[in-house]
Amino acid sequence: MVNDKKPLLKIEGLKTYFFTENGVVKAVDGVDFEVYKRETLGLVGESGCGKSVTAFSIMRLLDYPGKTIGGKILFKDENLLKKNNEEMRKIRGKEIAMIFQEPMTALNPVLTIGYQISEALMMHFDISKEEAMRRSVKLLKKVSMPIPEQRVNEYPHQLSGGMRQRAMISMAMACDPALLIADEPTTSLDVTIQAQILDLMKSLLQEFNASLIMITHDLSVIAEIADKVAVMYAGKIVEYTDKKTIFHTPLHPYTFGLLTSIPRLDVEMKKLNAISGTVPDPLKFPEGCKFNPRCKFATDKCRKKEPLLIKIEEGHMVRCWHIDKVKKEMRKGFLVGV
Amino acid sequence: MIAYIIRRLLLLPIILIGVTFLIFCMFSLLSPMERLATYVNDPSTLKNPQAAERIIEKYHLNDPFPLGYIQWVKRIAKFDLGWSQAANQPVWDAICQRFPATLELVIYSIVPVILVGIWLGVISAVHHNDIIDQSIRVTAIVGWSLPTFIFGLLVLFVFYGILGWLPPGRLSTWAQDIVYTGTNFHSYTHLVTIDALLNGNIPIFVDALRHLCAPIITLSYVYWAFLLRIARSSMLDTLRKDYIRTARAKGVDEHTVIHKHAERNALIPVVTIAGMLIIGMLGGVVVAETVFTYPGLGFWAATAAQQLDYGSVIGFALLFALIMVVGNLVVDVSYAFIDPRVRLE
Repeated sequence: MVNDKKPLLKIEGLKTYFFTENGVVKAVDGVDFEVYKRETLGLVGESGCGKSVTAFSIMRLLDYPGKTIGGKILFKDENLLKKNNEEMRKIRGKEIAMIFQEPMTALNPVLTIGYQISEALMMHFDISKEEAMRRSVKLLKKVSMPIPEQRVNEYPHQLSGGMRQRAMISMAMACDPALLIADEPTTSLDVTIQAQILDLMKSLLQEFNASLIMITHDLSVIAEIADKVAVMYAGKIVEYTDKKTIFHTPLHPYTFGLLTSIPRLDVEMKKLNAISGTVPDPLKFPEGCKFNPRCKFATDKCRKKEPLLIKIEEGHMVRCWHIDKVKKEMRKGFLVGV
Repeated sequence: MIAYIIRRLLLLPIILIGVTFLIFCMFSLLSPMERLATYVNDPSTLKNPQAAERIIEKYHLNDPFPLGYIQWVKRIAKFDLGWSQAANQPVWDAICQRFPATLELVIYSIVPVILVGIWLGVISAVHHNDIIDQSIRVTAIVGWSLPTFIFGLLVLFVFYGILGWLPPGRLSTWAQDIVYTGTNFHSYTHLVTIDALLNGNIPIFVDALRHLCAPIITLSYVYWAFLLRIARSSMLDTLRKDYIRTARAKGVDEHTVIHKHAERNALIPVVTIAGMLIIGMLGGVVVAETVFTYPGLGFWAATAAQQLDYGSVIGFALLFALIMVVGNLVVDVSYAFIDPRVRLE
């Protein structure tokens, strides 16, 4: 997608390491991407690939012993890594808000829904408790919460999973943030509720003119909501392009593997094409290309030298030595367009 | 909330029946002569068969077990608990006379235990693994490892034996004369420190406080360390919870994150422990009062136990059982107060 406007968020060479007793875990190791206004970026990858850590690095919510040691996080042209903790606190919730995976554990069990939403408002605006409560009711109405006047006085355990996630979303949208980061917001919900929540998020993004970073391992969520997609593997982006390209002409063997491992109803399949092997131990990443032990195209070159993320065409970047081989494989019709 | 409290209160009689039943079972294990002795204030009565017979008749000591139990409970309800040889007065009077002293000691000990214990536990967790945390933990481990009687003797040795600051007992002799026999001193509450203040008698207040300090230090240090460890680990656990991250993600400041979001959740297990702790402290009271010859319930019970004064021991057991039952009730109610999930079940 060509866009000559300035990006809302631009991440350059972000490095976040965890300094554990057993060694340094390079959870995020040189990640670059951009998010434009009103655009949704999907961050895809398996568990442990660093997608959540990327989000927490942006918010500066890393747990000990995690530390961002390099790169730039430019939000509205200001480097967030240069801000002090108090400045960062004022940005969290107001400018950049976050939605979490498990709404049951992400909501405080001993505080009412109303308090938890109005707290976000009171932290960033100089308004009274009553005014904040009134606005909370309005926000809950916006996320189609049934009987919001009653819900504000209830506790998280009195709500259903879908309602909790709605409350979570209204909390995130409370201060009209420019950027929303959603960390697997639908993973813990059943499929019908998932669709409702995604629809709700789409309409809210439009209403609030907000951008979104959608972190997920679920490609159907990407298909539903994203404009651009960054595929992450072992702390690095391996493919970065728009949604259409990802589903039609993916060029990285990992993306390719992810797509072919989705069970399909329209093509007869004898066996599911799972990616062989497992996610590498973050303490002992393989030499060369991190995906090489699981890659069927891997050669000696892959085992020795790590490829760079290079631009294949306008708006399509891939980190692989053997793009030609992938292209050939694809032409065999292994992958029918989604 | 009210329904929850009522339901808990309805359980109270059932628990009390169980408690009295158990104590009566133990009472029944005593020989007839021993049971008789608990109601006798003059040892010569035991040698007089007619007098003994009269007492057996009066207290239904020969009744079958179920009837005996009912009669026994009836008498307890009328506060007739027998005769205390150790105190040389009826057991109930002995309890009434000593209860304020123990209450005074326990109240003054609980306050630092709970407030300081929880406060330091939270501080320790917030400063996880740095120098503040380490020094708090070392102090706590020392307190936690010391038995009450050893630490009590140590306090007695240092503050009385060497420094002479904190004398044992409850009051100095001159103060006793004023408080117990003086005409100008009114005992409103029987808590000497408070009465002294109400009478405007500062020297008595200071004297009472000096006597209280040593047992308070002994009791609170040991139990404080225990509570601190619980509060610390509970707080550490809570600070790692997802909702703490949510609060920070909303831009909530660190003070509110700790005191509003984390502390209340972390307190839920601490309250349970604190309740048990206060109950456990009653055991510590016996030791501390004995070490400092502080004239409270514990000192009396320990003396009674040494003299095989069953009447006193049973009275003491009944009283502590009652305190324990009420204590647990208070814990449950405060539990519901903190945790909304309990309220609705």
